[in-house]
Amino acid sequence: MAGLLLSSTEKVFIVHGVQEDFRSDGRSNIDYRPMELETDVVSHASGSARLRLANTDILVGIKTEIDTPKPDKPDMGKIEFLVDGSANATPEFEGRGGENLASSISNTMQRAYHSSQAFDLKQLCIVEGKQCWKLYVDILILECGGNWFDAVSLATKAALFNTRIPLVKALLMDGGNVDLQLSDDPYDFKFLDVGSAPLLVTLCKIGEKCVVDPSAEEESCSVISLIVGITGNSKSYCADKGASNITDVDIKCSTISMNGPGSLAPKTLKNAIHQGM
Amino acid sequence: MVSQAKGSAYVELRKTKVVCSVFDPREIPHQNEFRQLGQLYCEVKFAPFSCPRKRRPYVPDVEEKALSVALRQALEPAVCRHFFPNYQIDVLIYILEHDGSCLAAAINAAGLALANAAVPMFDIITSCSVAVIGNKMFIDPTEIEEHIAKNSTEVNHGIITMSVLSQLKQISDFTQIGSMDVECVTKVMEVLLKECEIIVPNIQRVLVVDVVKNFELKKHLEAETKKREEILKKKMDEWRSLLNGQ
Repeated sequence: MAGLLLSSTEKVFIVHGVQEDFRSDGRSNIDYRPMELETDVVSHASGSARLRLANTDILVGIKTEIDTPKPDKPDMGKIEFLVDGSANATPEFEGRGGENLASSISNTMQRAYHSSQAFDLKQLCIVEGKQCWKLYVDILILECGGNWFDAVSLATKAALFNTRIPLVKALLMDGGNVDLQLSDDPYDFKFLDVGSAPLLVTLCKIGEKCVVDPSAEEESCSVISLIVGITGNSKSYCADKGASNITDVDIKCSTISMNGPGSLAPKTLKNAIHQGM
Repeated sequence: MVSQAKGSAYVELRKTKVVCSVFDPREIPHQNEFRQLGQLYCEVKFAPFSCPRKRRPYVPDVEEKALSVALRQALEPAVCRHFFPNYQIDVLIYILEHDGSCLAAAINAAGLALANAAVPMFDIITSCSVAVIGNKMFIDPTEIEEHIAKNSTEVNHGIITMSVLSQLKQISDFTQIGSMDVECVTKVMEVLLKECEIIVPNIQRVLVVDVVKNFELKKHLEAETKKREEILKKKMDEWRSLLNGQ
């Protein structure tokens, strides 16, 4: 991230360390930094989560609204991402400065959640063709410490897990117009199934090797990074009782994109994707 | 193709039609700090009548912005940015008809236009995309195939677009949407590498033809200028002799 000035000797130090699978804070190339995750931090939102990944701090809030589904997808709900870089993170984000970064993060998230195998939008449907839930996922970047994509996807998954969708109690069909009554009971809601929600893994190419979870200094040493979105196996996320009913799904790539003004040799790309898995 | 632009190109992939124009380097607006490398400013716009499903509004929407970012990502490693520090080059793409594979067409058109504008580049950039539905691969998909691939519920589905710098054998951009497993991704990558290599000779031919044409035009113009100069000289001599005679 700009704003961090590294001397060329420091960069050489980092590059050489990565060649030996040894990073400046003692991790190996595939280790993540310690993270703290807290859900249900914002009381007015339907779901929220806050993630601290070393220096990176992300806050995600989810709001639900009733909307009409798209005409070519009548039984699917909608999900929309908005990323906002707060000026707290770095002075560059003031005003509209962080828009480029914000739009690239929200584009990647939108692509990752696009597939029905990643996040099933059918669970957001109320009345087919007429009413569905729309989730507004608002992501706030509070502090920058490198590796936004991973942190954003982790926090989003946690917030979606925490989201409470009110149950529909009564339906009145009035000649084509649907009148809904939502349950007033604060404990009467359902949770979403986020077992297979995608997590993004950023692989940063430093020298010849790829590094997972780059810190801000490591990011400024590298020219290019590869972001792989991986959908999970929902079996590993549910209680023991329901485990046998859910089909076993292999880990898949739900989105891949490159970030940074550089280029990769095809072999490096393949190795990196394997490493991400 | 576009006469006001420094360089321009028009690419047709069966029905998908894309125009690209490249303008001279200019100072970056709203810029405070000095940058060592030049910037590329890419903008992709759909014509309102271009999409089969709905009419595009005039305000750039999310998809156009995403395409612009992807285009920039693909072109940055190809252009020698150290030749124009603190300046930006505008690459403007206008999609006249969208029948699938528009990012690939846009990247190809932008590469050609940059070469036509004599912007120094490291290599020729080519791009191709593949739609995967189940275990079938569709190279260079049309819009209908793309739509099915995006919304299908099969085990493997999605679209991969890849752009390659041919001589250096480097991948400059790789985007995937949908859900597919690793073997599928690696298989598709190999197919795409081969496809991009096939496009390269075509691009080279177009560029060479263009350069040869420009040379011929220059020679022709020089010949005409010489003729005109001779006529003018004759007239000058006539008048001089008249003046001296008086």
